[in-house]
Amino acid sequence: MVAAVAVAAGVPASAAPPALNSIAPDFALKAVDGHNVRLSEYRGEPVVVHFWAGWCGPCRESVAALDALGLRSGTPVLGVNLDGADRSAAVADSLHLKMPTLVDAQQSVARSYDVAKLPLTLLLDAEGRVRASWSGVAADFAELTPQLERLRQD
Amino acid sequence: MKLKSHPLLFAARLFTVLALLAAPLAAMPSDGGTASLKSVDQDVQALKQQLIDLNRDLFKLEEELLYPASTQVAVFLSVDVGTFFALDSVTLKVDDKEVANYLYTDREVQALHRGGVQKLYLGNLKAGSHEIVAFFTGKGPHERDYRRGTTLKVDKTVGAKYVELRISDREASLQPEFVVRQWE
Repeated sequence: MVAAVAVAAGVPASAAPPALNSIAPDFALKAVDGHNVRLSEYRGEPVVVHFWAGWCGPCRESVAALDALGLRSGTPVLGVNLDGADRSAAVADSLHLKMPTLVDAQQSVARSYDVAKLPLTLLLDAEGRVRASWSGVAADFAELTPQLERLRQD
Repeated sequence: MKLKSHPLLFAARLFTVLALLAAPLAAMPSDGGTASLKSVDQDVQALKQQLIDLNRDLFKLEEELLYPASTQVAVFLSVDVGTFFALDSVTLKVDDKEVANYLYTDREVQALHRGGVQKLYLGNLKAGSHEIVAFFTGKGPHERDYRRGTTLKVDKTVGAKYVELRISDREASLQPEFVVRQWE
């Protein structure tokens, strides 16, 4: 399914997520379970970062699939939810997500990643470099899974 | 400036050393002796050390250029015991302007409990009187949400100003205590 969902106003149309091989900007956000999560603490292993919102249909599908992938492969998957402080927990709960759902209520992290379309999925290597990204579409698992496997073996 | 030499000159020297090292490596016969390999290894180790020194010099240079002592203000945070307060975040304001907002992960809190000191903010302030306000949020005694602010009036002089925010335990009242100290 190809569906591009524009994020809230304030992001220029030409905005683009971090380029391939660039270091993904670090961030710290509060998860719905109350813990604080910092991206750079995952250095040393590949990690998937997924920007999503409950009002975005393709996001809900892809976040559930990524959650399953994370459980299956043991890869950390961080879901950055843009619904707002009140709704994030309810949306994550309704989807029975096991992965950390991080609340970006002010969309400050989304801005630092120039998220113009949802969902945005980034595959980062052990050094925090972007190795693959999917913007405005669900992540292609036929590409993601083997890439992830390679990164895990490196 | 206390640098041993200009970093660009130093980098150029390093480049020359690398080039010199690369030449014998390329020319080395496949059955090169153990002695020459050992020598190359020693050279590589020496180069690594030089690179570390260069990196430190560049860091110092950057800090001296961006934050000269005449205007430099640094705010550090430390935790002493911290039984009565589980740190979640700190917001720092200087003259009513938010300059830092830091969210602490479990790992970072553990590091602070083990004696780590965090440089929360490094910036510039003109000489004169300034107000620094820090807001701490976290869990206080009995797992209750806890938010506490502390204010410090600093008189910035010509030297660098260091401010330490310390979270400690007040055993008598079983409450956390937020101590602010100034260092010149």
